[in-house]
Amino acid sequence: MNDDFDSGLLEEELRQAAAVLDPLPPALLQIAVDAYALHDLDARVAELTFDSLVDAIPVRGATDVPRMLTFTAGEVTLDVEVTAEGLMGQVLPPRPARVEVLGGPQPTTPLTADDLGRFTTATPPSGPFALRLHTDDDVVVTEWLRA
Amino acid sequence: MERTEVGALVRSAVDGDAAAWKAIVEGLGPLVWSVVRAHRLSDADAHEVYQTVWFRFAQHLGRIREPDKTGSWLASTARHECLKVHRNARRLMLTDDPQLLDRVSEDGAPEQSLLESEEAAAQSERVRRLWQEFEELGERCRQLLRVLIASPPPSYQEVSAALDIAVGSIGPLRQRCLRRLRARLEARGAT
Repeated sequence: MNDDFDSGLLEEELRQAAAVLDPLPPALLQIAVDAYALHDLDARVAELTFDSLVDAIPVRGATDVPRMLTFTAGEVTLDVEVTAEGLMGQVLPPRPARVEVLGGPQPTTPLTADDLGRFTTATPPSGPFALRLHTDDDVVVTEWLRA
Repeated sequence: MERTEVGALVRSAVDGDAAAWKAIVEGLGPLVWSVVRAHRLSDADAHEVYQTVWFRFAQHLGRIREPDKTGSWLASTARHECLKVHRNARRLMLTDDPQLLDRVSEDGAPEQSLLESEEAAAQSERVRRLWQEFEELGERCRQLLRVLIASPPPSYQEVSAALDIAVGSIGPLRQRCLRRLRARLEARGAT
């Protein structure tokens, strides 16, 4: 008996079962196709340099701790706190900015960061999000994340 | 997908070729989906992780250092996001959010199409039993096989990136897991 051959058959049968019982939903395929619009050569990407989910030691007994995120692009740092109430951000070094909370390729309403670089939203992002920051001479987009 | 083919498509997409982007999504979307499904997330989490991975890939498109290894990049990004979901769930336990629960079944029950015709019933029963035995395999085997059965089949490099296991151990593990699955089916008299 050829074990390799049999395994190959069984694996192929399982692949077909997955195609029927657990296929990639067509709606998700389309979302990924549309995501091409997010390809933006003009903006600098601010990389996630701290995520409390990964980098922080959990506080014993603490529940509903805010998620703390830090993004960095060159000299620009963006500190973000995500709670059930919404999103609080701080642009460093402090500067006024226009901030968009992106949830996908569709357009959004921009917020304003005050002279000290602070901004807040009234609701937390649901699902994937990124922040696009416009200052006088610069556009920075944070890495896409899931809240 | 062939690595050289992916590399060429990525370079075209960087230059503004939307059809190339679509071909990448069609070629590697099933792999990303398999990785997400291998990590046993809720449907809502699975959908969001899938989207996050593609949004981030679109964002990094012009900065991907090794376009030939895009499949591995996607698989490893998906894995990291899945692990974050597990961490978050353990700490916050927010999964009873009604808004998220409502979203779960929007794609309808996929098995429905199988049950439509009478003559398909026997075949569908076999598929259903195979899937059930697969679901009940040990976690490690279930995870490995779920990634391997992506369509088109992933390379071992991609599987390695998806599950953080050495390329050299994938072949032997695959054999062992498929042997175990076959033994389960035989024990049930299903082959």
